[in-house]
Amino acid sequence: MSNETRNTAVSLARATGPVRIYLDNAATTKTAPEVIAAMAPYFSESSANASSVHRDGVAAAKGVERARQIVAGRIHAAPDEIVFTSGGAEANNLALQGVFFAHGDRRRHVIVSAVEHATVLRAADWLESLGCRVTRLPVDGAGLIDPADVERALSAETILVSVMYANNEIGSIEPIADIGRLCREHGVAFHTDACQCLTLEPLDVAAQHLDLVSLNAHKLHGPKGVGALYVRDSVRLMPLFHGGGQERHRRAGTLNTPGIVGFGKAVEIAADADAAKMDRLRWAFWRNMEGTIPDVLLNGPHERRLCNNLNVSFRGVEGRRLVRELDEDGIAVGAGSACSSDTSDPSHVLRAIGRSDDDALAAVRFSLSRWTTAAELDEAAALLALAVRRLRNEPRGAAS
Amino acid sequence: MNGAAPPLDETLDLTGVPCPNNVARALVRLEGLASGAVLAILVDDGEPATNVADGVVADGHELLAREPVGRQWRLLVRRANLP
Repeated sequence: MSNETRNTAVSLARATGPVRIYLDNAATTKTAPEVIAAMAPYFSESSANASSVHRDGVAAAKGVERARQIVAGRIHAAPDEIVFTSGGAEANNLALQGVFFAHGDRRRHVIVSAVEHATVLRAADWLESLGCRVTRLPVDGAGLIDPADVERALSAETILVSVMYANNEIGSIEPIADIGRLCREHGVAFHTDACQCLTLEPLDVAAQHLDLVSLNAHKLHGPKGVGALYVRDSVRLMPLFHGGGQERHRRAGTLNTPGIVGFGKAVEIAADADAAKMDRLRWAFWRNMEGTIPDVLLNGPHERRLCNNLNVSFRGVEGRRLVRELDEDGIAVGAGSACSSDTSDPSHVLRAIGRSDDDALAAVRFSLSRWTTAAELDEAAALLALAVRRLRNEPRGAAS
Repeated sequence: MNGAAPPLDETLDLTGVPCPNNVARALVRLEGLASGAVLAILVDDGEPATNVADGVVADGHELLAREPVGRQWRLLVRRANLP
């Protein structure tokens, strides 16, 4: 298709309302029809409180327990070690605050990486304000932690190390099994935020020496508002919420039965082949982009990268403006991470891997799902090339 | 229970699991067994033992035996021929 024809197509698409291409699956995925179908009875005939002992309550609790077994089985845990939460943010906060407050002495030490999700970093800041010492470990240019840095940072006061499994912005896959082994050797609890990669990367709490794992449903075509924290049986944890005996006294509050059932179904239907397909499509998309758009910079690693993530800086272009342009063209992508998209500061992750502010602000995150097609990515690549050229050709200082 | 004990197909330890999660877990496990299979369920004394026994019967399964094991109970349940 010539550029002229393509420009005409863009104009037509903007005028008539284009077919949407959704490439912001790291922010959230669309809920699978099978998940919605599985949840539906728990809004109606099985909508009793799953903590009630009557038959209706048992019917609801069956849905919860079935889901608990599925989620636990996926990460090779025992069902009792799964604490359902409202999502990944709560799971991360429960892990950090729960371990900290379970220790009476506040003169403790927690280690996190510099590229953690804000829900870990801000929770660590909060603990620091209460007297906890916090070490924030740097990463290399690919966003990867050196386990030797973890070992050097460990001290007799260390009670917790938190390093994410796969980064939500640049997809770097951290050496969690190595870090887990180190923590186990030193008797320190190890937490990993696996919200981006449940069902996409292998998760085995025994083999990878994990003590706490944050999970959520909506990144794998499950419902929003539900997640879980895996808590190894031996880990002492203070709940965030008090006043209810749910989840073996680790998380007070009426269980979100439909959400939990949907979470279980989403895990159940996730196929191992999805990751390989997304990995292949993602790199083809990158090669297409790299071949047609000058001055593009891949953020994050080539190897050890989450299969559905592509984060690219388009030099000379403001990432936020590119997101809006693509939105007009019918393509949904993310600028930096969804959780920080209300700020105009450069991403802390991109800064941590050494990007300049200009390059960090020129970044856009594309993230695929199991439903993303090659045709969608070809279309997106073509429209992207035009959008970048339009923005680069704008007079300096042009307002959006 | 009279006569020889039926051969066990599986055992499920529900001690420490509160109501109604214990009932729900028993029913979920029974769902996964073949019709006629026998499941031994270990439950805490008191309400858990009563609720789990009542729950499996209410779901159509057959309670073969209820035996004290220290401060706990061992329930033998035959999986019903259910859809």
